[in-house]
Amino acid sequence: MMKPGRWLSVVILGLVMVYVAAAGAAMSAGSDNRPEALASPASFSGISNTSRRSAAYFTELGKVLTNPRCTNCHPVGDRPRQGDMSRLHQPAVFRGKDGFGLTTMRCSTCHQSANFDPGRMPGNALWHLAPLEMAWEGKTISQICEQIKDPHRNGNRSLHDLIDHVGKDTLVGWAWAPGFGRKPAPGTQKEAGALVEAWVQSGAACP
Amino acid sequence: MTKLALTINGHAHGPVDVRDDLTMNDYLRESLGMTGTKFGCGAAQCLSCVVIVDLPDGTSHTNPTCVVSAASFDGKKIRTIEGHATGGQLTVLQKAFIEHFAFQCGYCTPGFINEGQVLLERLARTPIARADLETTIADALDGHLCRCTGYVKYHEAMRDVILADPGRFLKGA
Repeated sequence: MMKPGRWLSVVILGLVMVYVAAAGAAMSAGSDNRPEALASPASFSGISNTSRRSAAYFTELGKVLTNPRCTNCHPVGDRPRQGDMSRLHQPAVFRGKDGFGLTTMRCSTCHQSANFDPGRMPGNALWHLAPLEMAWEGKTISQICEQIKDPHRNGNRSLHDLIDHVGKDTLVGWAWAPGFGRKPAPGTQKEAGALVEAWVQSGAACP
Repeated sequence: MTKLALTINGHAHGPVDVRDDLTMNDYLRESLGMTGTKFGCGAAQCLSCVVIVDLPDGTSHTNPTCVVSAASFDGKKIRTIEGHATGGQLTVLQKAFIEHFAFQCGYCTPGFINEGQVLLERLARTPIARADLETTIADALDGHLCRCTGYVKYHEAMRDVILADPGRFLKGA
């Protein structure tokens, strides 16, 4: 029969092993930068009601629109957010009159024409904040859907314009190639564009 | 590799081949031995690494060097902390920083000097009202981190330089 002291050692060792395994799993999850999948429009063909199918397209697209890669630069205030946790941008930078930063600290000061991974710096030639009226931060998918259809709150775009904006715009496309240490938006830009197109063609219904 | 040619403190450098992954900070400090530009956080958050970029239109701004490539400075004109004093004579701003003992360890000072110099040149082009001075200085120096907490002294030094020459920096003075 095992002595009580030996039992205690076994229990402690077991707890340590569980802790190590859990910590390892957590670290693994935190460093997993593989993109989530995005369902194709065809996968919604089982929904016979056109309006419901259209809303389902947008709900799926919502995985992209509410992703930090998108919402960080569609903030409700004058400061962008950054990272997968959407913390306020450091250093403290501000929107400025044109969305490209203040005179004293333009976005392009650090964010150049492409990602610069040695400096962990994301980049795109058009790096800037979405206008305040296009803020998505903190909104539900339904609210974003109504907003994105409104030319006054979507950059004066038609529904058809949205297909190209999401599917082909290079700054939007950065969300799928965000550089070292950042998790890409779900799916691919082409898949996201296909969802927008299917949503528009099915009546642009909102969930 | 990319060709890099730029002007630093009025002197032409290059063209030289630089690695695409070489940061501007490493180029200055390691390739040129210009260690006045500091490497702090490495994430453009402390701004001890900023240099002044002079634009063709006569304006200037500071630019972090730790997070951007050296190659991105091709064709640009920049100033580093080594370029402020001339003939062994410190600038008015440098003297003011000393008089106020604005720095302690001094690591952040090159960044503050560069930022302060950009502000002085901006005010010389576009003077402001006296009432806006405190906010203007605070906004300009905002973002620069000083672990010795010399913020007030930096601010006061800037204010002294500006108030010492109100006709140049302030409207209606």
